[in-house]
Amino acid sequence: MKLQAVSDDEPRLGRLINIGLPYLWLGLFFLLPFVIVLRISLAEPALTQPPYTALWEWVDGMLEIRLNLRNLQLISEDSLYLQALLNSLWVALVGTLGCLVLGYPMAYAIATAPERQRVPLLMLIILPFWTSFLIRVYAWIGILNANGLLNGFLLWLGVIDEPLKILHTQTAVYIGVIYSYLPFMILPLYANLTRLDRTLLEAAADLGCRPWCAFRRITFPLTLPGVIAGSMLVFIPVVGEFVIPDLLGNPGSLMVGQLMWTEFFANKDWPLAASLAIVLLAILVVPFVIMQRLQQENEMN
Amino acid sequence: MANGTPSRRPLEPWQDPKARPYVRIDRVTKRFGDIYAVDDVTLEVYQGEFFSLLGSSGCGKTTLLRLLAGLEYPTSGRIYIDGVDVTEVPPYFRPVNMMFQSYALFPHMTVEQNIEFGLRQDRLPRRERMERVNEMLELLRIAPLRKRRPDQLSGGQRQRVALARSLAKHPKLLLLDEPLGALDKRLRENTQFELVNLQERLGTTFITVTHDQEEAMTMSSRIAVMEAGQIRQVDTPTAIYEFPNSRFVAEFIGSVNLFEGKIIDLQGDDVLIEAQFGGLMRMRSLQPHPIGTPVVVAIRPEKLRLCPTPPNNGRVNQLQGVVEDIAYLGDVSIYRIRTPSRLLVEMTLTNTQPRTEQVLTWDQEVWVEWSPTSGVVLTD
Amino acid sequence: MKGRSWPLLSVLAFGYAFLYIPIVLLILYSFNESRLVTVWSGFSLKWYGELVHNRQLLESAWLSVRIAALNATVAVVLGTLAANALVRHGRFRGRTLFELLLTAPLVMPDVIIGLSLLLLFVAMQQTIGWPESRGFTTITIAHITFSLAYVSVVVRSRLLRMDRSLEEAAMDLGAHPLTVYLQITLPLIAPALLAGWLLAFTLSLDDLVIASFVSGPGATTLPMVIYSSVRMGISPQINALATLIVALVAIAVLIAGQSMRRR
Repeated sequence: MKLQAVSDDEPRLGRLINIGLPYLWLGLFFLLPFVIVLRISLAEPALTQPPYTALWEWVDGMLEIRLNLRNLQLISEDSLYLQALLNSLWVALVGTLGCLVLGYPMAYAIATAPERQRVPLLMLIILPFWTSFLIRVYAWIGILNANGLLNGFLLWLGVIDEPLKILHTQTAVYIGVIYSYLPFMILPLYANLTRLDRTLLEAAADLGCRPWCAFRRITFPLTLPGVIAGSMLVFIPVVGEFVIPDLLGNPGSLMVGQLMWTEFFANKDWPLAASLAIVLLAILVVPFVIMQRLQQENEMN
Repeated sequence: MANGTPSRRPLEPWQDPKARPYVRIDRVTKRFGDIYAVDDVTLEVYQGEFFSLLGSSGCGKTTLLRLLAGLEYPTSGRIYIDGVDVTEVPPYFRPVNMMFQSYALFPHMTVEQNIEFGLRQDRLPRRERMERVNEMLELLRIAPLRKRRPDQLSGGQRQRVALARSLAKHPKLLLLDEPLGALDKRLRENTQFELVNLQERLGTTFITVTHDQEEAMTMSSRIAVMEAGQIRQVDTPTAIYEFPNSRFVAEFIGSVNLFEGKIIDLQGDDVLIEAQFGGLMRMRSLQPHPIGTPVVVAIRPEKLRLCPTPPNNGRVNQLQGVVEDIAYLGDVSIYRIRTPSRLLVEMTLTNTQPRTEQVLTWDQEVWVEWSPTSGVVLTD
Repeated sequence: MKGRSWPLLSVLAFGYAFLYIPIVLLILYSFNESRLVTVWSGFSLKWYGELVHNRQLLESAWLSVRIAALNATVAVVLGTLAANALVRHGRFRGRTLFELLLTAPLVMPDVIIGLSLLLLFVAMQQTIGWPESRGFTTITIAHITFSLAYVSVVVRSRLLRMDRSLEEAAMDLGAHPLTVYLQITLPLIAPALLAGWLLAFTLSLDDLVIASFVSGPGATTLPMVIYSSVRMGISPQINALATLIVALVAIAVLIAGQSMRRR
């Protein structure tokens, strides 16, 4: 009998590749950029290429470090930035609640549908996602316009006498956000609802709990992780949303994503854009940590 | 309970001091975190045995099997197969094959491809591979299924394919993890005998894991009873049943009556025991025990005798009580008898006569007696 | 759970209407003679004709498809490796950070990813002279960075659902770890790899913001062209384009559905 002792090389090499390559990529192209953003947020704009001042310089053999807090000061003092930040958080909050109010019953209805119908119904939720996001947002311009379809329909119904101004208002942004992010709310909720043990509800009913009571006391508490996961998946990216407010929103009340875009492309103030990114990141850390926690707890089970 | 094993050679290898064990597990411990799944186990299995690891779930029997397969590596201790230290050898270099509890049939391959998989790894030429596959298909009578995929097979068919696949490489040692666990009761009983026949025909050493004591009794040459990562007793099915070495083993296999007491006198091969139920017991003791040792006497229900009148043996090895419960099982009936000291004694009687009327009825006063050789004296 | 009450069903119907009416309208009006949305002035294919002759749009579409395909391929490789690492290598050093780096791109606002990557590319160009110019390469790198996170989620959940004893059985039958991976694991997770590839492809094809940041002169992707024409107002050519995309997706879904049923 010929037996070879363990050759650990193969598994060890596999381990190195599995962990190492993605780690290297994400470290280089995801983590490192944030360090650079942080650095440039402390610089000043300049008419150079690239358009910001160096953070340190060798002057007469001495290292000169210039940290510039102009940007942070600007952001905290100019109400334009503060308002944009608040507006972004508000839109994200309304959008998240809107997705929840519409998405929860939908996820519930799909999860309780006969087994054969569930996959097609879910497919229909995911399908719009495969068509261009930009084009789907654009479609709403045609619907919300003063002479668009919604107004035409309402006028025809006789509900209103003259066209409502919906496009280029906050309402349009809310609609756009709910429309675009609804699947992100439904999917985790659906996953959570299908995992729910049906016998718990039967037990609750058996113990004298009526359907609404069963929902309030059993179903909802048990699907809370799904609610939070879905809410974070909507809230976090919406805070930094650019396309929806840019195409549908009121140019008078900007969101922070739009500001970053403008500072960067129009005003060429890269350091200020970087500072806005840092502020935005700092705000998003809390919901992000909540999401991460939840995910890890989920894996424990 | 069927506890007869097929007749074997006069001197069994484990009784032969010159015999060399085929598998030797030497003080093996496997720890997962703080849990000792296998705790300082030493075990020897001989060529051609049908060896069973028996225990309830979580006792470490499956871990021990996985250690033999190389799917886990021991925390300490050595494992030898055919005299070679394989402790650190990965599974793909071991001359051992395993049949998994879930069967683990590759869902994307046909029956034929599943069986062929192991042979391909050995880079056998195609003709030889096909011969082996055909041999296995014949052996397990699954030739008509060769082109099917696992999801087109019934539970019993899958079990055969899994067995064929693990035997295709002609391993000297086959490990079987609950080989009959996924089958329904009827199929299981038939398959038990088939498995034993197959093993005797091939001469392969089988080590199986099971939690089903009846299955272990029917199939095995020897059984290791495991509990909490340790082996409590290794012996033939008969010896395990008739001469359990501990209270745990006695209770784990079959039903048993346990009478606690204390040794008060030694009389040749026998010991005289003052029982807690208030009488005296005179029992054959295999080991010498000093006077004063607290002991437990274990007697199987079918070894007790029932007397309608007081037995005439000088108040030794007898109990008096009333019938509290009768369970009619067809071939036998189980009686539970309550003594004045609140002890519940279980005994079985074979129903040899067609029973039109009860021999015994509830609340009837009876006597129970037994002989000195009908049970064992245990100290724990 | 008698969930099939009519209020619930009407919410469901409203939800689907909400999701699909805009798409249906786009398709409808792509065949409209008139430029105006409210007016139906007759069936026409003229917008499709214009679309086919819009060279800028076609070129950008070709660029986007090439970026999306390369992105999806690399992202599937890296995302699968990452999923392997998370599912198979237990607790390794730096796992928490690794998981963080794989989750963050899923929710990170595009503006932040775009800006930070651009600043990285500029800094790299200054220090090591690469990338010389921004365009195809930088957009692809940026897209891979977030796509691989999505792929890893898809592949990971498939790996977690896979029966480990299949791999153990293969090893027990004499297959080395690499053989096991190639002959057992990969075929079994293939559907997840395909799903991950398609997801990464779509994400890339859909991205406006990140591409705008990291792109340079001369490299205009399809979303960038769509964006500039949409900013001008209603453009029926975009309706025609949307219809084509919807048709493509529908065909793909039908094919996928058919092949699933056949299994």
